[in-house]
Amino acid sequence: MSALAVAKKDFRDAVQSRALWALLAVFVVLSLVLTYSYVEFPQLVSPGTETTIGGLVFFTAGIVSLFVSLTAIVVCYKAIAGEREIGSVKLLLALPHRRRDVLAGKLLGRMAVLSLALAIGLAVGFGFAFAMLGSLDVLTVLLFLLATLLFTAVYVSVVVGISATTGSTSRATTLAIGFFVVFEFLWDVVPIGVVYVANGFALPQQMPDWTFLVMQVPPSTAYTAVLTSLLPEVAASLPTQTFAGAGIDAFYAVPEIGFVVLAFWLVVPLAVGYVRFSSADL
Amino acid sequence: MAAIELDGLTKRYGDVLAVDGLDLEVQEGEIFGFLGPNGAGKSTTIDILLDFVRPTSGSATVMGLDAQADSLRVRERIGVLPDAFHVYDRLTGRQHLQFVVDSKNIGAESDIDDVIERVSIAEAADRKAGGYSKGMRQRLVLAMALLGDPELLILDEPSTGLDPNGARQMREIIRAENERGTTVFFSSHIMEQVEAICDRVAIINRGRLVAVDSIDGLRGQTETVTTLTIDAGGADAADAEAIRNRIYVTSAALEGDRMEVTLTRDGSKFAILKALDERGVEIRDFSIDESSLEDLFAEYTTERQEVPQ
Repeated sequence: MSALAVAKKDFRDAVQSRALWALLAVFVVLSLVLTYSYVEFPQLVSPGTETTIGGLVFFTAGIVSLFVSLTAIVVCYKAIAGEREIGSVKLLLALPHRRRDVLAGKLLGRMAVLSLALAIGLAVGFGFAFAMLGSLDVLTVLLFLLATLLFTAVYVSVVVGISATTGSTSRATTLAIGFFVVFEFLWDVVPIGVVYVANGFALPQQMPDWTFLVMQVPPSTAYTAVLTSLLPEVAASLPTQTFAGAGIDAFYAVPEIGFVVLAFWLVVPLAVGYVRFSSADL
Repeated sequence: MAAIELDGLTKRYGDVLAVDGLDLEVQEGEIFGFLGPNGAGKSTTIDILLDFVRPTSGSATVMGLDAQADSLRVRERIGVLPDAFHVYDRLTGRQHLQFVVDSKNIGAESDIDDVIERVSIAEAADRKAGGYSKGMRQRLVLAMALLGDPELLILDEPSTGLDPNGARQMREIIRAENERGTTVFFSSHIMEQVEAICDRVAIINRGRLVAVDSIDGLRGQTETVTTLTIDAGGADAADAEAIRNRIYVTSAALEGDRMEVTLTRDGSKFAILKALDERGVEIRDFSIDESSLEDLFAEYTTERQEVPQ
């Protein structure tokens, strides 16, 4: 109840963010241009393939994961830190809300804002694809939406969790952008680095199986794994691999590992944020 | 039952003692002024009452409930105007009040309209609060505090940003709330605001309590209360000496024709003038300066007097 009151207030506030709608506009235009070129000139985007809805779904997922991660940062980095920095948190907490309700309400409110933007963007994108291809598989689209909502919840949770650790928006910005850069840009080199160190500062002939797990850590990689797990036939029909665990013989080398990774990101940063926020002097 | 009870309350930030062993009891039904210069520890104390800040040692209870362990129940029953708050720029005044109604599970639209009227922001209620003046924000947050008819109002520097008219209106609202049975605890760094409406006052300085008393009681504690300045033609040192020796007079100084006499509360100013007249001094003019509580406040917070209990 208390969390819902916070969520409602927060939604009304955050949905008016101009940066959110500017980002959405950029991504809608981008997705229209890319969808158009994918359908019209498939060999340019992904050589040697026929245009399929399944291909389009994984293609869209790439754009969506960038959009969700960037918008989550823009919309959520101030969620708690911003209120603490300017002092509106005093209005919030002078009312009978527990700090965990504030966190839960923020999560719900910002999740709703991001989902709304995403729903608008995807409706335009898929509507356009439908107009060009003439058919859409409803189940595929629904499963795609499910995975995307989960991914959105994860990113909102990570950034709100980061925001809850500090009373300074500049520190929250640094941490959120740092997270994005480390896990979404630089992570490719991390497994190699880990193996290099673990192997006594030399690279082995063949990478050990567990490097696969390290590779799965970034949320966007886990998102693709989850999509692969939900849409196995679609993934199999693609000429490129959507999941890197295919050649590895280990119990964890299955696409379902994506759910585990997403669950980790859903819970851990938020828990850290909660511990810090609940013990903070405001 | 006490509305607020502080027992050895202490808050340390690093090596700074913001609040230093504060003992205080605010009775139900009174208007209690919490007075001190900026940085004296007023806001820290209030922040502890609201569980924004956790005390280093000691305890605070609000209406018999522990301010830390039972904070949620405390905040259900009080209305708060915090200091250094910030409104939600993108929400309207009415949306702020709706948020309070949702949060406290109280009232209805009619209550919102009622508090909007009482703080006179009716014409601005549907505009975004980001465009409000400082005074209007202060009124909006006061309206948020008043919603749901709380048992205790905690107001941190409520007159900040208000013009004299707004400050007077604030006092009227505080009085009206008090008459409805609400206990009011408010802080200020300006004696004048406290003097006008408080039943009792606590003065704190550097985190320590220096005085708790009624306004009259505080006045009674000062020795020197009146300064009489006389334009006395032809007065000499002997005249000053004679005046100085009178009962109730604490000092008498002569500078040219200007004589300055200070008296305690019970001294008669008229008797001084009469005595001078009888000594043949020509009294051309005189002025009286009653020592104000403001001076008293300055005295308490600069000379670090001991706590009179």
